[in-house]
Amino acid sequence: MSTCPRCDSKEAGKVSDSPVSGAWTIYACPVCFYTWRSSEDPKFTSSSLYNPDFKVRQADIPKAIHVPEIAQRK
Amino acid sequence: MAYRDFRDFLETLQKEGQLLTIEDEVMPEPDLGSAGRAISNVSDQSPALLFTNINGYRDARIAMNVIGSWPNHALMMGLPKTTPVKEQFFEFARRWENYPVPVRREASAPFQEVVVDGNVNLFDLLPLFRLNQYDGGFYIDKACVISRDPSDPEHFGKQNVGIYRIQVKGKDRLGIQPVPQHDIAIHLRHAEERGENLPVALAIGCEPVITTMAAAPIAYDQSEYEMAGAIQGEPYPVFTLPGTNLDVPWGAEIVLEGEILAGTREFEGPFGEFTGHYSGGRSMPVIQIHRVYHRKNPIFEHLYIGMPWTETDYMVGINTCVPIYKQLKDLFPDEIVAVNAMYTHGLVCIVSTKKRYGGFAKAVGMSAMATRHGLGYCKLVILVDETVDPFNLPQVMWALSTKMHPAHDVIILPDMSVLPLDPGSNPAGITHKMILDATTPVAPETRGHYSQPLDAPIATEKWEKIFQGLLNKQ
Ligand SMILES: [Zn+2]
Repeated sequence: MSTCPRCDSKEAGKVSDSPVSGAWTIYACPVCFYTWRSSEDPKFTSSSLYNPDFKVRQADIPKAIHVPEIAQRK
Repeated sequence: MAYRDFRDFLETLQKEGQLLTIEDEVMPEPDLGSAGRAISNVSDQSPALLFTNINGYRDARIAMNVIGSWPNHALMMGLPKTTPVKEQFFEFARRWENYPVPVRREASAPFQEVVVDGNVNLFDLLPLFRLNQYDGGFYIDKACVISRDPSDPEHFGKQNVGIYRIQVKGKDRLGIQPVPQHDIAIHLRHAEERGENLPVALAIGCEPVITTMAAAPIAYDQSEYEMAGAIQGEPYPVFTLPGTNLDVPWGAEIVLEGEILAGTREFEGPFGEFTGHYSGGRSMPVIQIHRVYHRKNPIFEHLYIGMPWTETDYMVGINTCVPIYKQLKDLFPDEIVAVNAMYTHGLVCIVSTKKRYGGFAKAVGMSAMATRHGLGYCKLVILVDETVDPFNLPQVMWALSTKMHPAHDVIILPDMSVLPLDPGSNPAGITHKMILDATTPVAPETRGHYSQPLDAPIATEKWEKIFQGLLNKQ
């Protein structure tokens, strides 16, 4: 498990290795759905370096408005 | 003439000097997104890009900026690549009248070469990458998404082909943004009312006409395929995906098959948009992918999107102008001359019109706001005389600077509807709108000193032709 650079959850995990072995690994966060590649600039892969304006607070995720609204069963 | 498939179009671009193949190794990030941005910055005559050596991938090929310039847009329509924008507009509008052209149904499709059934991992199957640096993930942003209306599944015209932003959130799980104005949102609503998932197919790497039509604001019950047939001048080839009632573009490189999960919304974004701002942090529907079809060694098509101009603006420019033009023309057939709604997908719209009497042009401006597309766009409508070319911005600026009187020609309409992505709207989806009437006043409006317009010297057109001939020889 890895730390999500964006929401700091500890549940992020590997979803793919580069076809050419050793080039990079792709990770995905099941909490805020951020995905990243290990070869990206640390600004996009490190929790402490990620731009605060784009950080996601886990507590805000359930409050996000629905687009579109879920239609009522008829 | 029609392009058989995506590769056929790339070959034409190659022959016409409009395809740049980049064989040097590039990093998925930040090179691909940066190159997509840069190619629009340097020219409006840019080539498409084909990357063939992407760090970490073995055989991946990624195409970008395929319709990303006026020459490429002209070639999409089978016109000479030097065709001026205004001529492309009138030709597009002319072919639009040929709707509908029935489709051609094929018994098999090239993308059936490889079928991945179950255990789908899109991160392994596709060379996905981050486009803009604070995008919340890797997006598929130029796929034709096909769905049917579950309350009227036999209606071919209500089958929708649209382009939506698609976030790859897991190995076989996508997020999709169907804003309520989009046709697929109607399909999803009908599915959720029935408590059913909505089957969808995503076709990636299609020839450019269906992609252009998928991004056009046509009526709910009109078929993008039958409109593509009108634009390309022959029936559009489709293939019905086995086990579904979804017709997909026959020539696609890659097809993803799945369903939107009824009643599910999940955190999505942000994603850098055509407004030049990120949007996101909302909960959106989710697509579960069950099956992937692709050609051997498929070409993955992607599109850069961000502050205009980008490929997006070329792709939606004329196909946005034409329906507004047609709807205004239905109201005022003798007056409307041309419509340029190419600025931020039509948030700014310029209409060239004749006048019946004083105040007429302002009514045309309000009519533009009441067109289907105008309801969510047309925040600013500029009216110019029939002698002003709305595609020639220096002429439009001249009209504004000399014909518009701020005391008489500025109308502000409060709290109108606009697409929620407009970052200035407040609340999201509501904005004031404005009409700037830069036409010459006509009776009973008698203000201003416009009785001595300066016409060009009488042999100017002759000299234009002489110079064009000389310059073309160089
Ligand atoms: Zn996260």
